Amino acid sequence: MSDIRHSLLRRDALSAAKEVLYHLDIYFSSQLQNTAVPIVDKGTIELVEEFIFHVPKDRSVQPKRMNCVQELQLLEIMCSYFQEQSKDAVRQIIFSALFSPQGNKADDNRMAMLGKLVSMAVAVCRVPILECAASWLQRSHAVYCVRLAKVLVDDYCSLVPGSVQTLQQIFSASPRFCCQFITAVTALYDLSSEDLIPPFDLLEMVVTWIFDDPRLTLITFLNTPISANLPLGCLDLTPLLGLVRWCVKSPLAYKKNLKPSLSNGHTGKLPREAVECEGADRDSQPLYSKLHLSVLQVLMMLQVHLTEKNLFGRLGLLLFEHVAQLVEELGRLVDELNPLNATKEIELSLDRLAQALQVAMAAGALLCGRDDLRSLCSRLPHNNLLQLVMSGPVQQPPHSPYQPGFYPHIHTPPLGYPPRPAAVAHPTISAHAPLPTHTAHPAHNTHPSHPSQTFLPGMTFPYRPIR
Amino acid sequence: MSAIFDGAPLTAMQSPQPPHNTMSPQELGLEIKAFISGVDQAQGRKLSIRDHARCAVRLLRTVPACRGAALEHLRGVYDEYVLAFLQDLEGESDGGVAGSGVDVSGSSGLEDVIQEIHTVLSEFIRLNPRAWAPLVSAWAVDLLGQLSSKHAGRRGAPHSSSLNEPLQLWMSCSATRSLMESYSQCLAAMLAWCPDACVDALLDTSVQHSPHFDWVVAHIGSAFPGTIISRVLACGLKDFCAHGYPGVAASSPETPGRQTPPPHTTAVADKSSRVPKIGSVVGILGHLAARHSDSIKKELLRMFQESLTPAPTASDRAGARDSPLQLRRATVPFLLQLAALSPALLVLAELVESLRPPVLLQLQAQFQGLPREELDNMLGLTVHLISQSPAGGPRVLRFLVDTATPASVITSGLTPAPHEGVRDACDRLLQLLLLHLHKLVYNRPEGDDGHPLSAPSPASPSSPPPRIVPFLEELRGHVGELCAETLRLERKRHLWLHQLLCLLSVYGGPSVATEALCQLLTLARTPEELALASQLHAPLSSSLPGLLPAAITRCVTQIHTQSLQSKELAQLLNNLALAVQSHEEEAKGGSAGGASSGCVSAGQSSMVAQVGAAVSSHLHDFCPLLLHGDPAVSRAAARLLSCSQLPRAASPAQLLVISRAAVAHFFLALRLRDGGEEKDGVGVAGGRGEAVRCSIRLLSRLAAHSPLTLKSVLQQLVEGALYKGNADLFGGQAEEPGGEAVPSPDLGASLLDINCKFGTTVNFSGSVWSVFHAGVIGKGLKPPRSPAHPDPDGVTWNLQTLLAVVVQCCSAGGSGNGAGSAGTRLQRPDQLSEEPAPINAEAAKVVAVTLVESVCPDVANGELAWPPEEHARTTVERDIHIRRCFEASPLLFHLLAVVAAGRPALCYCSAVLRGLLATLLAHWESSREPAALDSPWHLQASCLLVSCMGEGQLLPPVLANVHEVFPHLTPFEVRLLLLAVWEYMRGNSPMPQKFTFSAERGLFYRDFSRDGDLSRYLAPVYSVLHKNIDRLGHLCWRFQL
Repeated sequence: MSDIRHSLLRRDALSAAKEVLYHLDIYFSSQLQNTAVPIVDKGTIELVEEFIFHVPKDRSVQPKRMNCVQELQLLEIMCSYFQEQSKDAVRQIIFSALFSPQGNKADDNRMAMLGKLVSMAVAVCRVPILECAASWLQRSHAVYCVRLAKVLVDDYCSLVPGSVQTLQQIFSASPRFCCQFITAVTALYDLSSEDLIPPFDLLEMVVTWIFDDPRLTLITFLNTPISANLPLGCLDLTPLLGLVRWCVKSPLAYKKNLKPSLSNGHTGKLPREAVECEGADRDSQPLYSKLHLSVLQVLMMLQVHLTEKNLFGRLGLLLFEHVAQLVEELGRLVDELNPLNATKEIELSLDRLAQALQVAMAAGALLCGRDDLRSLCSRLPHNNLLQLVMSGPVQQPPHSPYQPGFYPHIHTPPLGYPPRPAAVAHPTISAHAPLPTHTAHPAHNTHPSHPSQTFLPGMTFPYRPIR
Repeated sequence: MSAIFDGAPLTAMQSPQPPHNTMSPQELGLEIKAFISGVDQAQGRKLSIRDHARCAVRLLRTVPACRGAALEHLRGVYDEYVLAFLQDLEGESDGGVAGSGVDVSGSSGLEDVIQEIHTVLSEFIRLNPRAWAPLVSAWAVDLLGQLSSKHAGRRGAPHSSSLNEPLQLWMSCSATRSLMESYSQCLAAMLAWCPDACVDALLDTSVQHSPHFDWVVAHIGSAFPGTIISRVLACGLKDFCAHGYPGVAASSPETPGRQTPPPHTTAVADKSSRVPKIGSVVGILGHLAARHSDSIKKELLRMFQESLTPAPTASDRAGARDSPLQLRRATVPFLLQLAALSPALLVLAELVESLRPPVLLQLQAQFQGLPREELDNMLGLTVHLISQSPAGGPRVLRFLVDTATPASVITSGLTPAPHEGVRDACDRLLQLLLLHLHKLVYNRPEGDDGHPLSAPSPASPSSPPPRIVPFLEELRGHVGELCAETLRLERKRHLWLHQLLCLLSVYGGPSVATEALCQLLTLARTPEELALASQLHAPLSSSLPGLLPAAITRCVTQIHTQSLQSKELAQLLNNLALAVQSHEEEAKGGSAGGASSGCVSAGQSSMVAQVGAAVSSHLHDFCPLLLHGDPAVSRAAARLLSCSQLPRAASPAQLLVISRAAVAHFFLALRLRDGGEEKDGVGVAGGRGEAVRCSIRLLSRLAAHSPLTLKSVLQQLVEGALYKGNADLFGGQAEEPGGEAVPSPDLGASLLDINCKFGTTVNFSGSVWSVFHAGVIGKGLKPPRSPAHPDPDGVTWNLQTLLAVVVQCCSAGGSGNGAGSAGTRLQRPDQLSEEPAPINAEAAKVVAVTLVESVCPDVANGELAWPPEEHARTTVERDIHIRRCFEASPLLFHLLAVVAAGRPALCYCSAVLRGLLATLLAHWESSREPAALDSPWHLQASCLLVSCMGEGQLLPPVLANVHEVFPHLTPFEVRLLLLAVWEYMRGNSPMPQKFTFSAERGLFYRDFSRDGDLSRYLAPVYSVLHKNIDRLGHLCWRFQL
């Protein structure tokens, strides 16, 4: 490794970066000849960080910087490389060697480069890169995912006017990326403040995508082996919870965040912008309503897929903790808004919540008992529909092994899972499933008694995307 | 945005809706490749600069990820354009030779690309300012900086020292202009939500590319003056705060004070190394100051005031370094620092206006916590600033003095007394200021006024020009106010001001010093205040020779130009008099061995001594003031003149002028005293009595000065006393208006008319020929003259005063012409009533001659020898006139008495005596009254005449005693006796030669024994005595030979 480094040190920044890419290609290709699971070793990571992301290894060496044009050249080279690399495994391993967050100071440069690469890939429609990015979004910690999403949203929804169409066309090119993108975007824009309300273009695009094909939201879920050990803190399998949050909170959040700008007489906002905001508000609500319908449809669909996978009642795609958090946020929002002024919006929100809960429970996406639900929703203001949902018996699916009126809970003793699908079944996925960072993790089969704990780790740490 | 760009023809690329929809991803990929390689991918040829730039613009619109690269590429395009532009300029200046055509086409080819770029950018900014404005503004400002500093050295580019030329050049270049417009657009958008960031960037770039970047800042500043000013200041403050304002420490007043006017740029340079932004803050504000100095000042003041608004919550105190409190604390040092770097940013005068007591309290509270050396540094800086500030000095000074003056019961009326701590601080500040000024003034290189101050001056030919101290420079015009303030003698205040006045005088040289001294002399009202003048003089006298004479000359000039109010004038004269008097007293005290006053004021003595000399040399300039309309002035002038020495070298003309004025003033004073006693209170009368006393003293001094002045004074005194206008002063009959003096208005006749009529008619009535002594024919007798003696006491007093003066003059002038009599002369004014000194014969002769001249209109028959009595009828007319004079003015007899005392002067009055005696004889002869007592005036006149002649030794004592019997006689008998007197006079002519000087008594005496037998003249006397022996027996012994 060190001899490579010495030769690289003599080159200029761009050619050194190219050389590293070339080196990676040869290195991993040869590794994949020998072993199915190549190892990304420390030396390689360091090489990448020093010569592609330009983080100085030691003080003595002055880091070479590329200017924007050189960077663009490098990006172009990467694009071409990933496009032309025929082996999926090599692509994946190189992508992850380049862009997996390492938790060091190179991450900033790494994320910036990744953002540009993906953004460019969207523009020139490089499907392999988008696929790699989708996998990256699946594996990486939510914080990084959100950052990537932010870059894309900025690029296509706010900076370059009219370019949202480019992004929208990705739907046909890489649905998997779209699904992960939606998940990341819903995690980013949680409607908790004015800045975190999704831009109109984005919202419209997402709604169009889902309305056109509701199954889009389930692509990741359907294509992922359920037994995989997902790293801690990664994104949800589906964007469903985020979408439910959007639908439920949007009437109140828009109401709340538009109020100050109106009462203060747009402080620091250009009048046109304020008008746009209002316009967005006016136009967004039908979109949310459309989105709500789609979400309910997806939930309905989910029942079939869960049953197919034999996961009904065992895998809650909507975690109870997350729903509890949502209800809490909703309660806070209601408190913040003067109920007298926002009766209509509160009613709408609660109606949507009740519908979502009802359908989710019925479809087996939310596993919880009615008592839990009752205690959970006790803080919320009265709503007829919600009341009905909490008190009324739930129609059990006919093939449920459980008694009517009983919701399958997550802690019920698990049925034996089917053995993990072997690499034979899903060759492409299994190839990258054992991640380099998790190679030391024991196989799932060794712990058949408590699979759900590893499977549903829960998002225990709160995070907010960096604004 | 701009009409230029809007008006550009819209090509397909420039259409508002970019054609990104039409480009497939594959095309985009090719486009990127083309952009990177610079080669058209389809045709395989190299892209021109234009096409390459177009390609970049397309990518900018379609591929967000290429943003950075595209913008970076466009920098090159702009650079290329500017280069071509400048080359064009240079080509033009060279005469437009070969090659320029290519360049023109090159730059014009880029022009539309640049327009395209501008259009795209401005559209982006318009559509989404929040996202694009920061991006574009950073890019534009950086590019502008790079362009302007890169091309600054070119031939075509103007030198950056002036601001206008680069501004014009760059604004005429469409590339930089479009950048500027984009930047302005960004700024306008960003100011709404993140003003700090954009100004920060501006400042950073300005620091990096100074001074080539200044035109950008200036342009932006003038486009957004309010915002830029306040933001620039805010950024500077933040930066200042972040870098820690102990930076003030290094800028103690010595450093910038050493160079004369601190060269702006170097100061900025060495400061900016430490606190990087403050330098550019100063630079930018300096540019804006030309046109927006008002708003800058307002902004600075606003900052100051804001810094003092009390903290909203107590939690701020625990805040971090950047907390508002910290910022507020740093504001004042920051402002001071700014001001130290650029004089234009000094707002002292305005600042002082806002320093009201509550503000001061807050200020004090704010700085209480600072460490001592920091405070000292700030004080030093402040002092330096004050001394260097070109305007507002007096206001600042007033404020400092007002605040530092300890509160007293008297002064704390209007404004509440300042806090103790505040006052102490001000006190300290003031003292430091004085110290600093002292250093500045006394360490100056050799002064411009040619008075060497510091002894070890190297006196090199290339010595720097004298250092200007703006504070003092400005105060030069306010010397008068300073003096007035100083003279208020308020506690400490006058000490400070006095010290300042000293410094100012030394600084300003003779002109200022003279003015100050002159002002002090004019405005002082009490001896204590006057002492200030001498205290000022003491330190200055060593450095400014001839100061006092110059000051007095200046005073005199003021008098001549009449620029002083009469009150001030009087004050000035009084003060001078006081000074002279104190000198005299001191001299006296010193000579008497009293060392008590010696130590009191050595300096004062030096001044007053000079005052005496200086005043003496200007004495004739003061004498017109004796006749000033304002009595106070004339009194003061009299006082001054009376106590100052007459110059030995004075010319006769001057002396005559002085004496004339002095005499005139004397009568004026008498009249005023007279009037004053009637109208005003005792105090005023006392003051006027004082005037008379001064006048007396002055006259006697004059008389003693030389025979010439003696003669002149006496002559004028007598003439004045006998002048009709003054008659009423001395109990005489004043001239009646409408009487003899103005007969014609009554008659309505003019001489012309009469002459015209003459010859045709003979009508005397109503003509000039009908006027006689007793009245006008046809009008009856004249109305008898009213006695008109409203104030007999006053008349008596006046008489006595006049006589005293005359006597004094006579006796002073004669007895000692030498200088040895100075002591006695000085004592004399106080001893009017004591034994009179012998009257000088010469002086008496002057009086006599004058008297004769004014009483006796006819010189014929004016010889001293007496003719026979019958001859008197030839002089009836003259005699009547003489008698009337005596009737009109009782003063004459007194004067005669004075003359008589100065033997043998009465001889010269013989014509008058004769005339009077003749009329008396005629009266007694014609009188049919039973007793002489029935015509009292004539009786009195006869008595006085005879006794006077006796006193003058024209008559022997026996014959002179006859007047004692007159009241007991009949008119006829009186005539007999008077005839005897006449006979004696005829027989023994009154000749001065008959008198001999007796040295031991200092008088002339006449030896009557030489005159032969007296008895034949006494025969009528004895017969009258015998006839009336029953009544006159007791008087017989008086007539024994």
